Amino acid sequence: MTQTTEQTELREDVELDRPWVTLVWDDPVNLMSYVAYVFRSYFGVTPKQAEGLMLQVHNNGRAVVATGNRESMERHVEAMHGYGLMATLAKADE
Amino acid sequence: MSRFTTQPDGILLGRFEPIEADLLRLATTQLLEMLDSGAGDPQLAASDGIFGRLLPDAYRDDDEAAAEFRRFTATDLLDRKAQNAQVVLNSLGISKADADTPDTSADDDRQPVTVSLDPDTVQAWLRSLTDLRLTLADRLQISPDGVVHLAGDETPFLRELYEWLGMLQEELVYTIDV
Repeated sequence: MTQTTEQTELREDVELDRPWVTLVWDDPVNLMSYVAYVFRSYFGVTPKQAEGLMLQVHNNGRAVVATGNRESMERHVEAMHGYGLMATLAKADE
Repeated sequence: MSRFTTQPDGILLGRFEPIEADLLRLATTQLLEMLDSGAGDPQLAASDGIFGRLLPDAYRDDDEAAAEFRRFTATDLLDRKAQNAQVVLNSLGISKADADTPDTSADDDRQPVTVSLDPDTVQAWLRSLTDLRLTLADRLQISPDGVVHLAGDETPFLRELYEWLGMLQEELVYTIDV
């Protein structure tokens, strides 16, 4: 019992500290130029960084576009859905 | 040459042939009707094909968290998508109700339509063009590899419209993203 409780507490501590990520997934509809534009205009990255993220999505099927706490990742995901992009959030190591 | 030009005050002017403006009005009016039909019950709507794409799961491996996220965001997202579509219709110079009765005058008399887009309106256009393409992609049964699976009389027209909306969006992106 004691052991289980300790393990649970430990896990919760780790979860609190572990960052979340926003992922954007490749889809057959959105144009590469538009996806790069969204990254640039919403996340404020440079055109070169936006292009790099867009190519990651295109070539690898997905890219991590932001890291942080869960609430801010949910905000980013909602914004991406507003742009029509496929976006999810997950714990950083998933 | 792009149909869009930027004025010194930052306003974008876009020129459309009458038939192009009609097509965009028709497609946007249908999008708006579809969004309105889902507005009553976003939860239910999200289980449907196209709504599932307009409001995708925010969590891939956690259905409960995905449902929770949808409960908090679906209504706002659908409202904003409907507002964006209405903005597109407004800039084309016609109300939603009028769009159901297209101009029947002869094509020769009709002048090109010039739209005037401020930065907020451009954002609404970019998002609405995406929603239109997502909706058409669903109807065309486009698979993840980009292949069209819909086989029917309407396929060539829908496909052409889908490609044209993509070109339009790209022209808009290139005009503002210099």
